[in-house]
Amino acid sequence: MATLHSHHPPEDCLNCEHRHLRMFCNLTPEALADYDQIGIMMSHARGAKLFSEGDPARNVFVICFGQVKISSTSRDGKTMILKIAGPGDVMGLSAVLANVPHEVTAEAIEPCQVKTVRKQEFIEFLGRHGIASMHAAQSLSGEYLTVFHDAKRLALSGSAAGRLARLLLDWGREAANGKPEIRFTMALTHEEIANMAGTSRETVTRLLNQFRRDQWITIKGTSLTILKPDQLERLTA
Amino acid sequence: MVSNQLDTRFERLAAAAAHPLAELLDCPQDAGRLLSGETKCVDFEPGAVIFRQHGPCKGLYVVVSGDFVRKAERFDMRVTLGPARPGDLVELAAALGDGLHTYTLSAVTSGSLLLLPMEALRRSFESYPPLRMRLLEELAREVSRAYITCCLTRMTPARRHSSAAAGA
Repeated sequence: MATLHSHHPPEDCLNCEHRHLRMFCNLTPEALADYDQIGIMMSHARGAKLFSEGDPARNVFVICFGQVKISSTSRDGKTMILKIAGPGDVMGLSAVLANVPHEVTAEAIEPCQVKTVRKQEFIEFLGRHGIASMHAAQSLSGEYLTVFHDAKRLALSGSAAGRLARLLLDWGREAANGKPEIRFTMALTHEEIANMAGTSRETVTRLLNQFRRDQWITIKGTSLTILKPDQLERLTA
Repeated sequence: MVSNQLDTRFERLAAAAAHPLAELLDCPQDAGRLLSGETKCVDFEPGAVIFRQHGPCKGLYVVVSGDFVRKAERFDMRVTLGPARPGDLVELAAALGDGLHTYTLSAVTSGSLLLLPMEALRRSFESYPPLRMRLLEELAREVSRAYITCCLTRMTPARRHSSAAAGA
């Protein structure tokens, strides 16, 4: 998911002004006070790997700000991007709770701040607070649907234009969260977007230029606004 | 190298396999009595919708007989998540999460389900907290399997899109 975010990182969970907007961190005061005591805040530069596919799952990572690319490696060594995780997303949760190695690789695509909690500490925290385990279940179910959604986007959309339109609409709607303006930060390169849409970098560049000329979208820096969602929608049919 | 990578993924898939139902729902007598006392068996005809996505969750279901299919919608896209077969636990996410169904379940053939009502589950969690964590771990295994299966699917040549084929 691509989202707009504040560039003022929270110093701790108790004083985080974004907490009520984030599914996992929106805890009761008692659970929040406990949550604040566990784990550490870590800053990561663009390109930093938080964990790699096949690594033992030793920590759970909660994104405070920034975006992280979740990917896997294909048979020919190419990276397949599964999704873009954003603020509030919990990474490594399924591997930690299932006690299996990480299924995917997580890499920062922009500077980000991540709360990192050791496996046992996190499991004990969930055991102490019903609300936290409820949020963990919601987080897992969100991941579950995203995996299938992503697989279907690649498998079924007929044209590259349709798949790219679908991707932009998904990111836009996720970021807009019901607001009328559909705008989001596009931190991925055209190559990476091509990977997610199952097409080539050249095609992505050509299609984005086409959408811009048709005034369906505007792009300012890394900010992309969808002006005519209906037109993009038609391409996905 | 490719086959090694596939083998590794299949090994990981096996490591994330579902745990036996009896093991998952095993709990001390008090909590066990709470669950078994409240459990209901419900029969369904082919085509019947057992519950709908976003609808209120009545509890955790266990497939006793028949075939069921799970489908979800996200924005305007419909996705088939796969079948639910005898022995499967259905809707851990809703029962452990916010109590709203995360997908729609329909009967493909005649069949029956056991329903462990939410209130009985809640009381069982209070009486025996490890039960909640055990079920949460099972949900995590389900997500882990979905990730690995998705990666395996995308590793299969038939499902990959070449740049030429994907052109607009």
